[in-house]
Amino acid sequence: MAQAEPPPRDPSLAGPPKSGSPGVRIETQGLGRRFGPHVALESLSLSVEPGESFGLLGANGAGKTTFIRLLTGFLLPSSGWVRVDGLSPSDRARQVQARIGYVPETPRLYPELRVRAFLGFAAGLRGLSGGSRRQAVSEALTRFRLESVEGRLIGHLSKGYRQRVSLAQAFMHGPGLLIVDEPTSGLDPLQREEIREVLAGLAGRCTLLLCTHDLDEARRLTSRSAVLRRGALVALGETAALLGGANPLALFHGGEVEEVASP
Amino acid sequence: MTAFRALVRKECAVLFASPIAYAVLTTVTVLTSILFFEHLRLYNQQLFLYASSNMGGFDSDTIPDYINLRDTVFYPVMEQLGLTLLLPIPLLTMRVFARERAHGTDELLLTSGVSPATVVAAKFAVTYGFVLLMMAVSFVYPAGAIAQGGLGLSHLLSVFIGLSLLGMGIASIGLVCSALTQSQILAAATTVGLAYLFYDFGWAHTFLGPEAAGLFDALALHDHFARFAEGVVSLADFAYFAALAVAAAGLVRSALEWRRLSG
Repeated sequence: MAQAEPPPRDPSLAGPPKSGSPGVRIETQGLGRRFGPHVALESLSLSVEPGESFGLLGANGAGKTTFIRLLTGFLLPSSGWVRVDGLSPSDRARQVQARIGYVPETPRLYPELRVRAFLGFAAGLRGLSGGSRRQAVSEALTRFRLESVEGRLIGHLSKGYRQRVSLAQAFMHGPGLLIVDEPTSGLDPLQREEIREVLAGLAGRCTLLLCTHDLDEARRLTSRSAVLRRGALVALGETAALLGGANPLALFHGGEVEEVASP
Repeated sequence: MTAFRALVRKECAVLFASPIAYAVLTTVTVLTSILFFEHLRLYNQQLFLYASSNMGGFDSDTIPDYINLRDTVFYPVMEQLGLTLLLPIPLLTMRVFARERAHGTDELLLTSGVSPATVVAAKFAVTYGFVLLMMAVSFVYPAGAIAQGGLGLSHLLSVFIGLSLLGMGIASIGLVCSALTQSQILAAATTVGLAYLFYDFGWAHTFLGPEAAGLFDALALHDHFARFAEGVVSLADFAYFAALAVAAAGLVRSALEWRRLSG
């Protein structure tokens, strides 16, 4: 079903992420995914460099979330291949997932758990135990400004705090790749600003893949972007150049596009 | 192992944060008590009738041998308790996987570097642990009372093991049903139906020949539980319940893996 994949680039990359690494590389070639007759993603080829802040732009249903799920190994591709840090999520999902932190559009949290307990659980899932787990939780509470709500039930938190908890669990193990899907969707302007500040603060610490249909967010947080429309890549280039035209929304909907770099 | 412990802790926290756990514990304990006292009342009534009609008092030889605590109270209570478990256990298992899927938290678990097998093992362990707790809580009082009536400790232990394995068997069916849907109600209803079907294949004798019906009998939950209730601890019955657990865990793991292919 999938195209022939290249051999892993470097055997040393098979181990856990190297400490101090600014991030991991993403490579895809001819990547596609179908759900029955529906093509969710079609022949996507792109490369994201380590430490880069990369935007994946597109309207709802463009294929962004499908691409993320292929990256995280939650879905298998119907065609083509994807590599994260030289590893295939299809074959080596656990090793790839150890390098990834993922913040879904809707925070996947347990409302009946308290914030500190949930972060402790997330750290445990990542293999942290004892003192290292307590330290990771404390650092996450501080970094994502959650100290004031650490004893509260997640179900009682505002959307903004829940999004921060989701970010904190994703960054708990110091991932080489942070994938953030529509991080400010449904938030009020103040909460949006807070989340953007938090994300800006993570720049340079890892590769950031930001999926969004918010153009301001993309301009502010990413250096390079790809635009998806109905599962296909329609533009790839510097974010400022891509979104600098008179009608950048045309990229999303297929109208007349000005000054767009070709894929 | 760290991830397994974290998952077990989380499962326990989520389980005991829900009123269902307490409702199930209370229901089973109350039902056992009602069953026990009702049979004890009938036992006393029979004793009184024999004693008074023959004018021989309670030590009279005219009281038949079959009227004793073991045959008149304990066995019927345990038999009916087995059947009673068909209702509360599906309430316990319905949420285990279905709720994760409905809330999208399965994506969090399955993209965090933890193998599906670990997730399945932790959820089965906590569910089985709760069944053991439920059996212990509901078993202690009748067993304690019956122990005074001449049933040996080893026999009581055999009945307890049988009831616990029966509960785990029903839970295994429930966990499979929960993994196949995101609707908790559908999971519970399917579990009740399937567990009732698997409980006793007596109906098969009406439609099938003795050999085919005998094969169905070998698969029935009740037949394997009944031998424990008689005080017979057989390796074959242990193997039956172990096989049921392994098959259920395998099916659940496949169901989780299937999502990667089907979305």
